[in-house]
Amino acid sequence: MSLRHLLTPFAALLALSVSLQAAAQSFLVQCPDVSSTGTGTALHPYAKAAALATRNVPGYPAAVAGNIKCQQVVGTDGYATMADGNQIYMFGFGPGSGLDLLSLGLPGTQTAADFNGAAYVPAGAAGGVPQGSFNSPYFADGLTPDPSYNKNLPTNRNAGIYDPSQLMNWGVLSANQPAPLIAIDEDDELFLTLSNVGMIMRPDLFEQHTIHFHGYPNASSYFDGVPDDSVAIAIAGSMTYYYTAPDAGTYFWHCHITPPEHLQMGMVGQLYVRPRQNRTPASTTVANPSCATMTLSSGAVVQDILCSAPPVPGATATTAPVLYTQPAVPQKFAYNDGDGSTRYDVEYPIQMMGFDPNFHYVGMTFNPEDFAGMKDKYYLLSGRGYPDTVADVTPGAVDASGNPDAQTGTQSTAASDGLARPSQPLPSHIVINRSTGGQTRALLRLSNLSVTELSTLGTIGVPMTVVGWNARMLRDLAGNNLAYNTNSITIGGGESADVILDVSDSAYAACTAAAPCTFFLYSPQLDHLVNDAENFGGMMTEILVQ
Amino acid sequence: MTTVFQAIQSRHRAVRSLAMAVPLLLGSVGAWSAVPGITGNATGSTAAAPTFALVAAPSRLTQPDGSALYSWGYGCASGSSPTFVPFAPGASNGANLGCPTMQVPGPTLIVKEGATVTVTLTNNLPSVAGNTSILFPGFAVTASGGVAGTNTNEAVPCAAGSATCAAVTYTFTATKPGTYAYYSGTQSDLQIDMGLFGAVIVLPAATQSNPNAAGTPVPCKTGPYSLAANAYDHPQTCYDREYLFQWHEMSGPLHSAIESQVSACAAKNGVGCTPASGVVEPYRPNYFMINGRSMPDDMDGSYLAQYPNQPYNGNPHMHPGEVVLMRTIGQGRIQHPFHFHGNHARTIARDGNLLLAATDNAPVSGTLAGGVIQPMNRVAGPLYYTIATTSGQTLDTLFTWTAKGLNWDVYGHAQNVNAAGAGFPQGPTATGNAAVDPFPCYADITGHYTVDSTPPAVFPAFDASGNLTAGSPNYGEYCADHNKPIPVTPPDPAVVATGQWYSGTPYLGIQAATPNPLAPTFAKQVSTGGYAYMWHSHDEREITTNNVFPGGMMMMLIIDPPTAFIDETQ
Repeated sequence: MSLRHLLTPFAALLALSVSLQAAAQSFLVQCPDVSSTGTGTALHPYAKAAALATRNVPGYPAAVAGNIKCQQVVGTDGYATMADGNQIYMFGFGPGSGLDLLSLGLPGTQTAADFNGAAYVPAGAAGGVPQGSFNSPYFADGLTPDPSYNKNLPTNRNAGIYDPSQLMNWGVLSANQPAPLIAIDEDDELFLTLSNVGMIMRPDLFEQHTIHFHGYPNASSYFDGVPDDSVAIAIAGSMTYYYTAPDAGTYFWHCHITPPEHLQMGMVGQLYVRPRQNRTPASTTVANPSCATMTLSSGAVVQDILCSAPPVPGATATTAPVLYTQPAVPQKFAYNDGDGSTRYDVEYPIQMMGFDPNFHYVGMTFNPEDFAGMKDKYYLLSGRGYPDTVADVTPGAVDASGNPDAQTGTQSTAASDGLARPSQPLPSHIVINRSTGGQTRALLRLSNLSVTELSTLGTIGVPMTVVGWNARMLRDLAGNNLAYNTNSITIGGGESADVILDVSDSAYAACTAAAPCTFFLYSPQLDHLVNDAENFGGMMTEILVQ
Repeated sequence: MTTVFQAIQSRHRAVRSLAMAVPLLLGSVGAWSAVPGITGNATGSTAAAPTFALVAAPSRLTQPDGSALYSWGYGCASGSSPTFVPFAPGASNGANLGCPTMQVPGPTLIVKEGATVTVTLTNNLPSVAGNTSILFPGFAVTASGGVAGTNTNEAVPCAAGSATCAAVTYTFTATKPGTYAYYSGTQSDLQIDMGLFGAVIVLPAATQSNPNAAGTPVPCKTGPYSLAANAYDHPQTCYDREYLFQWHEMSGPLHSAIESQVSACAAKNGVGCTPASGVVEPYRPNYFMINGRSMPDDMDGSYLAQYPNQPYNGNPHMHPGEVVLMRTIGQGRIQHPFHFHGNHARTIARDGNLLLAATDNAPVSGTLAGGVIQPMNRVAGPLYYTIATTSGQTLDTLFTWTAKGLNWDVYGHAQNVNAAGAGFPQGPTATGNAAVDPFPCYADITGHYTVDSTPPAVFPAFDASGNLTAGSPNYGEYCADHNKPIPVTPPDPAVVATGQWYSGTPYLGIQAATPNPLAPTFAKQVSTGGYAYMWHSHDEREITTNNVFPGGMMMMLIIDPPTAFIDETQ
């Protein structure tokens, strides 16, 4: 506990060092609280222009419109617990909003209204909750009182943290593995704020951080997060990244400062974009996806070579294309397929990653780094090795005070100050409630952010159907479905794939709640089934059909 | 204290490395590349029957850490005087530097579809290296001369000082267009790591056409530095610009061990030597290269005198809206996930095999090699943002970028006048509304400002010196985003670090360059104010050179403003 009190002066020291060139701190959280029709009050002069943009989607009902979404992450360091019980030091991203959502393994992305606090009233007006009404009686361990708690305000642990002192209190040592989960819908606008609270265990580094939206189409260099060709945010500063969401798919995100170091040390996260087809109202026929056209230098107008959703053709050139009608109970899809071929019941974002404990030790102890000799020895799925991968989140677990319980609700790690914080909130336990919930299809959003090698994932008992690759539906420019069945898939660092596990076959009818079936998703590269010296674990998880 | 000091030293090392790179780059701002190569010997070659006289020889590769890595490579035999395309090495580079007797990668052999290709290989490697050979995967090769080897006929080392060496000859027909690898088929585990590999490019026989907005077929344009108008005999393979990226790695200790064996043998006058061998497993490479160079050398010009055995660079440039053909080859033993920032790319072919849809209700009209026009099924290759660069495999992809859909004007048009862009209509310019918008964006049928707009944009044209003679400064802009301000308040400049490829504003192009918050002395690598994107291996440990970051497999794509001339010869 005593170490905890060292934090604040230490953090102040970090802030002070930057204040030599800037005034105190420059945290600036931006989430324009403007409705999709442009009404409401803008938080800053530019927000309204963006919000006024038409969000109605051609070919879709007016109800299918995008929203403004917001999220905040902090750049920091922290500790994670490996499946062999060892703690490992990380550079990482922690949550700066959506703390309860993230600790339960859910995306931390929220609408502007939720991010700003439901009762938000613009600054200066009377009767409202202050901007960013984040308010919690206790720190993440559920035990240590948060001195900034205001008992006159409702408890809200999902709001964006605007207050600089709270950002430091909650952000320092809060690194998660993987980084906070981001999920948006096509046609949304995302205001993603990165606040750099420093890495308190490495006060010598003064590291900047960035966000690289990996795979984002038609990216601008400014929001691409590469420090060499853009800007990087220093300690005690914030940068708000702005993205539209033009194409559904499984992407991911990471810091792009000194990538071999910051990625290996843990600054990697998951990100996906849900298709607008999900928002099709019940019993409505989906508008057929179509390819945009592009103008060549010759002046010719041709099908866009990068078309992401070519329509499924009809039987002949003159018959109408295949269309999908949303049933009375709306379904979910990986892509705007137009024919329901990427439908799923339940989804699991799974990030393949590796940690080299030697490199992490060096990263904590100020030693020269060995890049060429980097060798992962912890093989992880979403930050955990087996059997931690199947340690489920207890939904709604609360402590005696009614706060989400960081000990049983998620996987936590005690940091150097003795305070336990959620460190690896995402289990990879794939549960398909076939008999109890009518579920037959699980979508695995696989991404690989290993910085050392390619990895293979295979299944036993349930075949994989690969429907997407690198955040794009597998479909040729003529509209033919190129999805394929396989028992293994090999993905390199910087790649992603969408895989559907289908248990609709009657062979799985015997899998019930009373007699569940357990299958495995694991790396057939058998040396990846280790937790360092412990030789059964690593890159493996279970598929539970019941 | 020692450990802290070491860490600081380590960091300074990285900084020094970058600082060292800057003068080199500054000396050649505007270094571009295209796909330079040779089409055959000046004498004895025809387009239908090109001949190449190659030699395998030892020399050294320059690395940005200062080392000169002993290596083996293919090169042009002395006196063979090959013809260069798409441009000749500058005269200042000295005689024969364009194709030295040893280079890594080996000379890029550029031939026409249907040509009968003859390659002769002479072995000038040290005697301990033993025999060597060339494999041409994807072609039916006839080998003659030399001695029989496991995979093909091999050339034996020339005796020291011998004027005449028995060469081995390989002949094949370039049956189909595409990108192909060639590499040693002798003791390949060692010889390919040592540098014995290269590329063959087969150009298609027929130029393709596509319909314009009125339905009239118009032929694909051949870019000023393109080898052809289209990559294959298919209308969906037209491109404006092309780059070849060969990805491979080397083990410094292995090369040193081989050099020691060569020296020891020479000291014994070649008597009693044992064949060269090294520890090839476990494999611990520490140099990671694109086209034979580590970053930042790869972003320097091609055919430069300071890299006498590494003539090719990796330095892609483009204008918004152009289609870029990326020819990618995995030449190493391990895979290097090639992640290109900026956009996806469409795969059109693998190992020179065009990937087409199995069935198509609306095929496009294409021209076969023989000139026959017929319906062709559309392209079927996947979209990638990362290419796995599988060992020995070639992948041809098409990349493009227009900033479409960002919901803000990347050219910063209105922001040049006032920060909020007040007073300027957002979105596509209404016809005849130029008076209220100094940089109008009239949308064509695809939503962009092009020659198909009404009134049309002017396609940028340049004179022989590269000066702009005519052209719309925002040619290719996506008009729906025109004049929209950037939707966030940028961070306080005092709490950001800026990179050397950053132009100083969030905007693309010279019209956004004033006012520029960067100090006049700030070393800006992109003099045109273009956007830079990192193209690199996503096994991030490979963007290092002998353990120093930054380095290795990293380069920058520069998207230059439409009216900036891209001179690929410099």
